[in-house]
Amino acid sequence: MNDMSTQANESLGDYVARARAWLDAMEPRFGHEARKGLTVDQDLALAREYQRLKSEAGYACITLPRALGGGGGSEIQKILFGQEEFKHDFPTTYFTVSQGMPIPMLLRYADKETSQRLAPPAIRGETIWCQLFSEPSAGSDLAAVRTRATRDGDGWRIDGQKLWTTWAQYADYAIAVVRTDPTVPKHAGLTFFWLDMKSPGITVKPVRKLAGESEINEVFFDNVYVPDSQRMGDVGAGFRVAIETLMIERYSVADDACGGPTLNEFAKLAANSRINGRAAIDDGQVRRALAEAIVERQGLRSIHRRALSAIAEGKEPGPEGSIRKLRLARRRQAMGELAMDLMGAEGMLLEPEGTSTLDHVWSWMDVPGARIAGGTDEILRNTIAEKVLGLPQDYRPDKKVPFNQIG
Amino acid sequence: MENEILTMLLDQAVRLLDAEASQTGLKALLEEPGSFDAALWGKAVELGWPAIAIAEESGGLGLGIGSLAPLLQELGQRTVSLPLASGYVTAAALLEGGVAADVAAQLASGQAIATLALGEAGECGLSPAVVFSGGTLKGAKAPASFAAVATHALVSARDGDTPGLYLVDLTAAGVTRDVVPAIDNARAAAALRFDDTPATLVVAGWNALLRHTGVAATLVAFEQIGGTERCLRISVDYAKERKVFGQAIGAFQAIKHKLADMYQELEIGRGCAIDALESLEEGRGDFLMLACTARLGAGMAYDFAARECIQTHGGIGVTWEAEPHHHYRRARSLALEIGGAPFWRDLLVDGQQILETV
Repeated sequence: MNDMSTQANESLGDYVARARAWLDAMEPRFGHEARKGLTVDQDLALAREYQRLKSEAGYACITLPRALGGGGGSEIQKILFGQEEFKHDFPTTYFTVSQGMPIPMLLRYADKETSQRLAPPAIRGETIWCQLFSEPSAGSDLAAVRTRATRDGDGWRIDGQKLWTTWAQYADYAIAVVRTDPTVPKHAGLTFFWLDMKSPGITVKPVRKLAGESEINEVFFDNVYVPDSQRMGDVGAGFRVAIETLMIERYSVADDACGGPTLNEFAKLAANSRINGRAAIDDGQVRRALAEAIVERQGLRSIHRRALSAIAEGKEPGPEGSIRKLRLARRRQAMGELAMDLMGAEGMLLEPEGTSTLDHVWSWMDVPGARIAGGTDEILRNTIAEKVLGLPQDYRPDKKVPFNQIG
Repeated sequence: MENEILTMLLDQAVRLLDAEASQTGLKALLEEPGSFDAALWGKAVELGWPAIAIAEESGGLGLGIGSLAPLLQELGQRTVSLPLASGYVTAAALLEGGVAADVAAQLASGQAIATLALGEAGECGLSPAVVFSGGTLKGAKAPASFAAVATHALVSARDGDTPGLYLVDLTAAGVTRDVVPAIDNARAAAALRFDDTPATLVVAGWNALLRHTGVAATLVAFEQIGGTERCLRISVDYAKERKVFGQAIGAFQAIKHKLADMYQELEIGRGCAIDALESLEEGRGDFLMLACTARLGAGMAYDFAARECIQTHGGIGVTWEAEPHHHYRRARSLALEIGGAPFWRDLLVDGQQILETV
């Protein structure tokens, strides 16, 4: 395959056409059929191979420099490529976090030697980075992390526990936010590091999710040594760096169905299901649910389309883009429940080979996490109320209290 | 050039509406059935509002439907009722049908006022029972907005099994106009009855009837979005100002989350309205489906916002003096006057395949 990285003066339409053709050519090797029946290890190996080809073609980390294996392209190209890639069922999930946040942060905060050494293999899919943020007592309230780092010569010793860490079981490296000073208020006592996941004292234990298969883990730290040279940002600046990490993707893309079956699939199911012998698609309750879902999808499509135009013109997209996940995750859950209702007792069947994108039952089974990860429904509503509408911040009694004095 | 005209026109509109649309005036309109702000309409006519979107060959300025949408949004914010959408839709139908060019020109100049008489008793959709036969109409329509003051009506009726839109001069013989008390008296509603009333076929067929109603739905959606914006604005302002239990009610999540939900409904409705308008301007094949989503999305948003605006205001929200009830009335009026949600949902679900394939 030729080097297909960004070509000068190419229109966005041509860019998308070229991306489509490339993705279509990848379909036989990496698509849904090719992945059927693979073990996770086999799928990960396939994923690494796909990632290597993506990097060669300039479609991996599209906004990062070509010299590092990125695409050297624009944010709008990255979004457009992502939209096209969504249409395929390629094994990209292992790299979403790794390439989305830790690598760009490494390029911003690590010294040149380190970033030149560590970023390219991560972009090519040879290594995976995870993000050690949440803990048992610090989810929505990230500044409440308890994992401690204490000075030890030229470095630090880390003790504690992280939780909900995506793909930690395969991770080679990590970025982490930990508490370096418990005597100051919680936001002020944090520091940010990168670290080697093979360091002595780190134990990774996968968390079994309600739907079985899992990408999330507990990560335990027992006297883990991290050199001070791996600190990212100043001591005490960890919260700000963590927020910067979460803001890197100022506009992230999720498909119309939030990873569940499309509304068209739902309509097909309703056309083939009966309520006392009548086609379910002719039933008023079903029609109302479907109509309201279509209306919501259309509104979100419009918001997305306008955001893309803004980004393409170098402007900031409006805050309305922030409602997308909040709406779609709940909708996927509701439509999953209704689909199962229409299936009647057959809705109890959990097909061992089923996937969320194609199977209504699996979609329902696996959706609760979507309402929690990346901002719970409740936190997202608070954010809209405070940041968009300008309403007062919630009462936060621990905000100015030294961390070690919070009850 | 066109953009400059539009900007100027909208600036003028905001100034005029801010000066003229007082709470006292709006409340006076609610008192009496069939109310209409004729003085404001006169000023709107002077400023050329009825003409802006109507085609040049019909005597309008030909600035396109996109010029009317933001103006209706401004009206909607202030719950001002002017027969602009009905005038545009009627003139556009007349042009398409190639009939009554003189009436279209009068609509553009503001000499004529149109009402869209689409509803009928016992039917929440658009299927008409009024009969056209031998050049005249027979039957009764449900209350229609602006029918109390209109000179002409665009009436849905059937000729045999074929539905269509018909133009009626409301001064003609056999027209009975009953001004009716309504939830929103400022809409100048009246019920029309036709007893062998002369009428002219404008466009025939179910598809034409739906398309023209879809245009009306798209315009009304912008009025609804304007109203929703206003409900959110005054709710947020009140939530910041009103204190209970030692803090602003807007600091409680019960209120914050309600208003965050209102914002979501607004943006989804707005997105649907924008997309329908764009499809209409581009003459795309998905227009009717997008008009359905605009009708439903903007309607749900305004109903939700109007209802929860009162709730956010608490006791003061249920008083005559406060603003929220204007929206509570208007949201429902707009939701009912060109076919109810159950009808539009049906249409959307039956055609949803189009949205998957376009």
